[in-house]
Amino acid sequence: MTKLLEWLLGCSLIGMAWGLVTFDLLDLQLPPQYRELAWPMPVYLLVVFGCYSLATVGYRVATFNDCEDAAKELQAQIKEAKADLKKKGLKM
Amino acid sequence: FQATGADQAVGFGLVGFSLLLFTYYTIWVIVLPFVDSDHVIHSYFLPREYSVILPGVAALILLLCVGTFIGVVTWKNRKPKKID
Repeated sequence: MTKLLEWLLGCSLIGMAWGLVTFDLLDLQLPPQYRELAWPMPVYLLVVFGCYSLATVGYRVATFNDCEDAAKELQAQIKEAKADLKKKGLKM
Repeated sequence: FQATGADQAVGFGLVGFSLLLFTYYTIWVIVLPFVDSDHVIHSYFLPREYSVILPGVAALILLLCVGTFIGVVTWKNRKPKKID
């Protein structure tokens, strides 16, 4: 089975479980707090995933080490490339 | 070399913001249903429907911004057809 099929299968199983609880299709008569908890679940999981992504990006921006030498080298290469292209007629 | 100044500020700012958002939203969605309805904490949170509506609206606004950006860039880069 391909990864796509695995993910689709997993997601649809979880989706069905959520639907059963939220719309009470099996008349399970769960206590009201658990039903209150269940229906925002898809949106909640999306928001949590978004927060996790944002935190990961932020943390990696904060801990990414500066590379002074590489920065200087890159600036020099940019100048060189600009001069070369101007010579060949490219408008900047 | 360590990351400096603005990078650290922005990075840790993002981390802090997402932690705050996660905590508030988790209390709203997961903790509140199990708290008595006359507890004072409920006054700090909007009615439950908004916990789904607000992220939905935010997602729509995000899509709008992305679409507008793409539209503007495409419009700016349109070139007149060459006449042979």
